[in-house]
Amino acid sequence: MVGPITLILLVLLTGAVITLLTRTREQARVVALISSGIGLLIAIKMYLTYVGGAGMQFTESVSWIPSLGIGYNVGVDGIGLPMVILATLISFLCVIYAWGEGNRPNQFFGLVLLMDMALVGVFASLDFFLFYIFWELTLIPMFFLIGIWGGPRKHYAAIKFLIYTHVASVAMMLAIFAMYYFNGAATGTYTFDMVYLLDAYSKGVVSISPLWINLILGGMLFGFMVKMPAVPFHTWLPDAHVEAPTVGSILLAAVLLKMGGYGLFRVIIPLMANPDASTVFVLVIAIFGVVSILFSTFVALAQKDLKKLVAYSSIGHMGYISLGVAGAVAFGASEVPRILAETGAMYQMFSHGIITAVLFGSVGVIQHATGTRIIDDLGGLTKHMPKLAFIMLAGFLASLGLPGMSGFVAEFAILTGSFSQIPIFVLLAMFGIVFVAAYHLWAIQRALFGPYNEHLGDIHDIAIYELIPLAILVALIIALGTPNPICSHLFAEVMQPTATHILSMLPQGGLL
Amino acid sequence: MAWIDYAYWIALLPLIGFVLELFIGKYTYKRGGLFANLAILGSTIIALGTLMDVLGGARIDVSVPWFYDGIVVGYLIDPLAIVMLCMVSFVSLMIHLYALGYMEEDPDKSLYFAETSLFTCGMLGLVLSNNLLQLFIFWELVGLCSYLLIGFWWYKPEAAAAGKKAFLTTRVGDVLFLAGIILLYFNVSHLPEPLSFRYIFSFEVLETIPPAHLTAIALLFLGGAVGKSSQFPLHVWIPDAMEGPTTVSALIHAATMVTAGIYLVARTYPIFMASPNALVVVAVLGGFTALFAATLGLVVNDIKRVLAYSTISQLGYMLCMLGVGSIIGAFAVGYSLFHLISHAFFKALLFLCAGAVLHGLANARDLREMGGLLKKMPVTGIAMLIGALSLSGFPLTAGFFSKDRIIETAYEYGAATGNFLPWIFILVAALLTAIYTFRLWFMAFTGEPRSYLAEHAHEASKIMTTPLIVLATFALFFGLAQSRFYEFVGANFDSHLIEELAHLGGYHFHEAHAVPFIVMILPAICAIGGIGIAYGIWYNSRVDLSKYISKDNPIYKVLWNKYYLDYIFKDLIAERLFGFVALLAEAFDKYIIDGVVNAISWIVIKIGSVLRKVQTGVVETYATAVVIGVVLLIMLIGGVL
Repeated sequence: MVGPITLILLVLLTGAVITLLTRTREQARVVALISSGIGLLIAIKMYLTYVGGAGMQFTESVSWIPSLGIGYNVGVDGIGLPMVILATLISFLCVIYAWGEGNRPNQFFGLVLLMDMALVGVFASLDFFLFYIFWELTLIPMFFLIGIWGGPRKHYAAIKFLIYTHVASVAMMLAIFAMYYFNGAATGTYTFDMVYLLDAYSKGVVSISPLWINLILGGMLFGFMVKMPAVPFHTWLPDAHVEAPTVGSILLAAVLLKMGGYGLFRVIIPLMANPDASTVFVLVIAIFGVVSILFSTFVALAQKDLKKLVAYSSIGHMGYISLGVAGAVAFGASEVPRILAETGAMYQMFSHGIITAVLFGSVGVIQHATGTRIIDDLGGLTKHMPKLAFIMLAGFLASLGLPGMSGFVAEFAILTGSFSQIPIFVLLAMFGIVFVAAYHLWAIQRALFGPYNEHLGDIHDIAIYELIPLAILVALIIALGTPNPICSHLFAEVMQPTATHILSMLPQGGLL
Repeated sequence: MAWIDYAYWIALLPLIGFVLELFIGKYTYKRGGLFANLAILGSTIIALGTLMDVLGGARIDVSVPWFYDGIVVGYLIDPLAIVMLCMVSFVSLMIHLYALGYMEEDPDKSLYFAETSLFTCGMLGLVLSNNLLQLFIFWELVGLCSYLLIGFWWYKPEAAAAGKKAFLTTRVGDVLFLAGIILLYFNVSHLPEPLSFRYIFSFEVLETIPPAHLTAIALLFLGGAVGKSSQFPLHVWIPDAMEGPTTVSALIHAATMVTAGIYLVARTYPIFMASPNALVVVAVLGGFTALFAATLGLVVNDIKRVLAYSTISQLGYMLCMLGVGSIIGAFAVGYSLFHLISHAFFKALLFLCAGAVLHGLANARDLREMGGLLKKMPVTGIAMLIGALSLSGFPLTAGFFSKDRIIETAYEYGAATGNFLPWIFILVAALLTAIYTFRLWFMAFTGEPRSYLAEHAHEASKIMTTPLIVLATFALFFGLAQSRFYEFVGANFDSHLIEELAHLGGYHFHEAHAVPFIVMILPAICAIGGIGIAYGIWYNSRVDLSKYISKDNPIYKVLWNKYYLDYIFKDLIAERLFGFVALLAEAFDKYIIDGVVNAISWIVIKIGSVLRKVQTGVVETYATAVVIGVVLLIMLIGGVL
């Protein structure tokens, strides 16, 4: 009997293979819909049967290459499970959104499913080797999605994306090998088991020179910060987004970036708990966070391309995750705000995923309908696209952190929770809030409101297959931002115990 | 069963109204409006029922947990909350009724009612919140509705720009408010519910917060209030907000939402009491805004903008009252709230009258194009006269009692502390208020029609004039409720607690002295004198204004340009300064950060040019290579087994 995680992986892999072999668009999209739908249903079933607690659940462990200590170990906790849901949900909705895709549909949907599988693999792996394979596997479908279905400069963007993030992965891989080696040399057990290794390093069981633990930490951090991406390692992202097809952008921003944030929780915090690890990393992460928030905001203010503007908003939102992590691990007299900050950062991971999907989805619809994304060439779109205007307005308001929507819960938790530990950084981040609102509202005003730009001709409103997934996401954004059991359950029952558990690895009171 | 146990329905009913209007409103009676009106009627009934309970001594404060330990949602009914709830639901009901006529022809009528219904939900929810986070959420919800409704006619570029300006300007205040909440949470995170009023408002808790933090928290809250209640220097958004439908101006930008800032200061009055110096800032800022906005009201020709400046000015009075209240304690809340509510009646009335005028004149808003309207629209004219008298503080109207009390307290404050500034500010403002209000009335309703539109004006329909008559009645007679109201709302906070907290803040209470007779009658003299001046200038035309109204007159020029604040904020700071920063950031991003990345890759490519021959540029080749590589790797590792 295989466990649910393996089942998801198998369903998606099989689905991907079958989709690639189909001949017509009809077959391809139906197969893709069914398999991604089954993947999502299994994930939801897992979520419903998940027992709030600290440890890994739905674990499966099969020895794979015992001589090297590699195992097929999977399982999820309060951060892995929401990410698995996010990956399967967004992929499923992407399949619906791309219902009209006519260019090589079998390959297109096959790659989406492959992406879905790789992402689930990343978030559910409990073995570093397996983790790394899935991590690299995500590059391939994205590379092709950009390279085949992309815009005019698709080859430049695809190669830049592949090489840039691959360089970061190599740094991460070297760090993994170092962890593997030093642990083996010290204890005699060579293993890639993630839970075991992280536990050993966090407790300082492995004797290792401070130089090496800091190199490991630095390599890992570099890998994750490029993926997030944090300023100044972010320049691959706008290029990739500008050229990527809409579905590629949605998957990239909504889920792929979360791999970097996930790494912070899963790997970085336990490693920072090592007694020999430098506490300077707390400041480094905080600075990455604040610089990402402020810098991306001002760059976004100057953007003329709607999609690029949205891409920069992603960088800012991901900066909040770094800020929350720094606030959670930094020294504070009380546990209460630190756990709040950490859980808020986890909540931001999910929240940003669903919000940014709405943003990219709406921009894609506009591009499809009008043939342009340049804000000044749009104007008054509400006249012909009232439904799109509604969805896009909701998405933009969520993105600027409006209370009552999921982003606010996350940002409030991060800012409030981090303030006692790193007040200066929090105040700097808050300085950006007005400007975040400014570029969002400016874009909305120019694109949707005002007199209609008659040069655009007679355009059609959002198609039903595009509307449904975006409307579902908007409903979810509101559900996760207002007082109701769904919001409380995800925050307090699923994420918070895991956040508490991760923080408990650190010395009493935190670092620095 | 008591009404009070169901008080949360006061806020929930309009939410249901919103959902129904949004999705099925346009398929119902007259394409929308039915659900919103019914829902708000329901809210009003429950609010009035609850008022009876609260008058009988009932109180309630219920919390349910939300997403984190101590983060809760709940509702609180006390005298302060219930008078606001009654006012908001009742005024909202009147304006919704009126809007049935006013928005009758609008193609998006159901959307309009959906949004105003959501707004009413937000405002009522804000008032009955029992903790700061929930209050902040509703605070932003009403801000959102304000944004959406200012830009309701989205195809008008001015409306779209005004909505954005309103949102961003208030957002500055909101960030300050949020910072205040965070700073407060930092100090009290050990409490079971750190942001709930019932835990914060105790001497033991506030005593442990350092005085500097308390002052910072109070001033940050004040920053939020300044944004929302449009006080100097964040007042710039309200005049532009007049681009929205007039019913929206009446509901949001006169009677209810803009008072949320005052309500916030009143609701957190114990914190202000415990904060050294904070109330001095409140008093001076409020007084200054009252005068400042009144001077601007003198020169504007747009009928709605005159009223907008008067709103800013009157909100200044309320804020000033809370500030000078540092010498009398808990009762200050009652005095301030009394003016808030009487203002809501007469200002909603004035705006609805202005709406009727616009309706009759095909949306002409310029006073210079009006004249002689009293004959064409007598009901509107008389109703507006009543509103104007009340706003000017003409003896025995509601506005007279409420404003008189504030001016008198400001004098006592001056006598007690030596700081007469607030008193002087609001006294001069009272004179100016009477002048600009009656300038408006005389210019619009008397004399000869000055345009084709004014000659062909017509009276509004019954559904619009009925709310006018009801509101006019309140604007005239609400003053009768004065003493009962002070006792009721003034006792909202435990006077003993407030006295203890005043020691923390370093404020001293003073027994009321006998105020000199001349000081007592000064407000009435200002009101009547102001009306007389306006009569002389704009009715009898005894002064030739054209001598003063010219660009060569420096005073006129400064007033006409609104003290250049719009120019400084929008052109200099927002567009030039931050526009430049944004361009700089973008250039840095493009040429420095990405430049380094591209330079590195260029070097690597040069070095590896030998390998270049492998690179075919066909993605399929790469794919094959990658797949083969992965398969080989797995086979290799498997072979080690």
